[in-house]
Amino acid sequence: MSSTLSSRRAASGSPGFLKRSQPRYGEKVIKVLLVAASLVSVLTTIGIVIALIPPAGEFFSKVDFGEFLTGTNWAPLFKPASFGVLPLVGGTLMVTLIALLVAVPLGLGAAVYLSEYANKRVRKIFKPLLEVLAGIPTVVYGFFALKAITPVLQSIWPAGDGPQIFNALAAGFVMGIMIIPTIASLAEDSMSAVPRALRDGAFALGSSRMQVSTRVVFPAALSGIVAAVVLGISRALGETMIVAIAAGGQPNLSFNPLEGMQTMTAFIAAAGIGDLPTGSTGYQTIFAVGALLFVMTLVMNLLSIRLVRKYREVYE
Amino acid sequence: MTPPSDATGGTRIPQVAFRSAPSLAGPVFEVGSLSVFYGDHEAVRDVNMTIGHRQITAMIGPSGCGKSTVLRCFNRMNDLVPSARVAGKVHYHNEDLYGRDVDPIEVRRRIGMVFQKPNPFPKSIYDNIAYGPRVGGFQGNLDDLVEETLTHAALWDEVKDKLKTSALALSGGQQQRLCIARTIAVKPEVILMDEPCSALDPIATAKIEDLMTHLAREFTIIVVTHNMQQAARVSDRTAFFTADVDDAGVRHGRLVEYDETERIFSNPSDQRTEDYISGRFG
Repeated sequence: MSSTLSSRRAASGSPGFLKRSQPRYGEKVIKVLLVAASLVSVLTTIGIVIALIPPAGEFFSKVDFGEFLTGTNWAPLFKPASFGVLPLVGGTLMVTLIALLVAVPLGLGAAVYLSEYANKRVRKIFKPLLEVLAGIPTVVYGFFALKAITPVLQSIWPAGDGPQIFNALAAGFVMGIMIIPTIASLAEDSMSAVPRALRDGAFALGSSRMQVSTRVVFPAALSGIVAAVVLGISRALGETMIVAIAAGGQPNLSFNPLEGMQTMTAFIAAAGIGDLPTGSTGYQTIFAVGALLFVMTLVMNLLSIRLVRKYREVYE
Repeated sequence: MTPPSDATGGTRIPQVAFRSAPSLAGPVFEVGSLSVFYGDHEAVRDVNMTIGHRQITAMIGPSGCGKSTVLRCFNRMNDLVPSARVAGKVHYHNEDLYGRDVDPIEVRRRIGMVFQKPNPFPKSIYDNIAYGPRVGGFQGNLDDLVEETLTHAALWDEVKDKLKTSALALSGGQQQRLCIARTIAVKPEVILMDEPCSALDPIATAKIEDLMTHLAREFTIIVVTHNMQQAARVSDRTAFFTADVDDAGVRHGRLVEYDETERIFSNPSDQRTEDYISGRFG
């Protein structure tokens, strides 16, 4: 067999029976397009950072950085102006915390149910429905918080004054509802990806379904679950419309979630649509607060990556 | 049709009977007219067999003959397949394994299972062994139990210095022995093995076979295997399954012959068995 081939090759004088390689231009075009697609988001991020730095830098040349970070009075447009960002940070953290208290247990609960308990038919109906929840415009959620949740909270509040018209509690609660699908859907994906063989092994050792879910599937899916929660936190930190509508526009450093408070995003939105002259210190505050928000999100992402590296269980 | 033991075993005092130590006399399993359905499809039809105490029973046969399906009836793993349905009699020490009050979790603590592909949890070696006792509410000293179990599974010397490292760092053969160890840590009476060596090389396979022979002093073992030499080497009794096509054209698994291993391999009574073990088909 091989001898006939080699003799034929020798006879024809050609390099062989294999087709000579030809450049595939279509392949190259596609590759360029794909690189461009991935570059868009990377370049956008870099662009935002570059755009943030000069105005934020100019701001910090006028306002002391320590005073900005530790000051407890945020009144950038008043005279005399005061640039203590803590009330905004406090508002953001308060609303985010409330949102997570709602979204993490409910979102992970829904994920465990869909991945480990629900049968195929239920999952097929439930998951798309859940994801519809993620598609509702946040302005709708904002009015839902202001016009539905707050009045209900006020009417059922057992003692004392109850929530103010604008309050962190209703905004955070509704924001939590909003990010449930994000957490549930991503966590469910990563739990469903855990190999069936691991579940079978656990069942064969006499585990209940709950034990399989919490002791085998959950730890094996941890990196995806943490990623889901982190994305939920990022959405909560960055969410603007709900807090702008339902949490009020007054910077307020308080631990009382029944009071109104302004978040960093709500301030940026309010100041951004105002008529601050470009280049004024008031205008630059927008970028300073934006930069801080960016750093907070970044730090949280880095922390979560370290956390996952430490605790995840890698299956093949 | 229903044998008299069905009425007494299944419903009368199942919990009490199940928690007491099973009597050593008599067969461990009695299977009668067992059929398994996946949806409307009858995957296995009319299996009758008796599994003896502390014996190694091998189940052999070509792919798709239903031997793994039958194996999974013994610890109710088929419960986890939504479309699966089991009909007929599966008695464990005269008690209906599928009785209404029988808890499948309790069943699986008494009847453990080792799978085709090693499936250690992505946890440490120690935690793999400790998993079963922990979920079962084990109260004693876990360290002792882990050492005792690993020694029992002839794995202790190989892993004693790396109990806290991931089980996935072990070789395939070690992983499979770890899975066997993990199973015996729960102290079951029966160990089901579903082609436990099919993913392993000959040396690792030999180690598992040694272990099986060793464990058969204390455990009843049922092993599904594609390897006929393995069945001949380790088992006391062998069941030969094949896939049949009935008059309606439905393909289903059948138990052809079940006998002493020696007899199956030297003087089988069915032509199909002889054809299979002599390599003429399958």
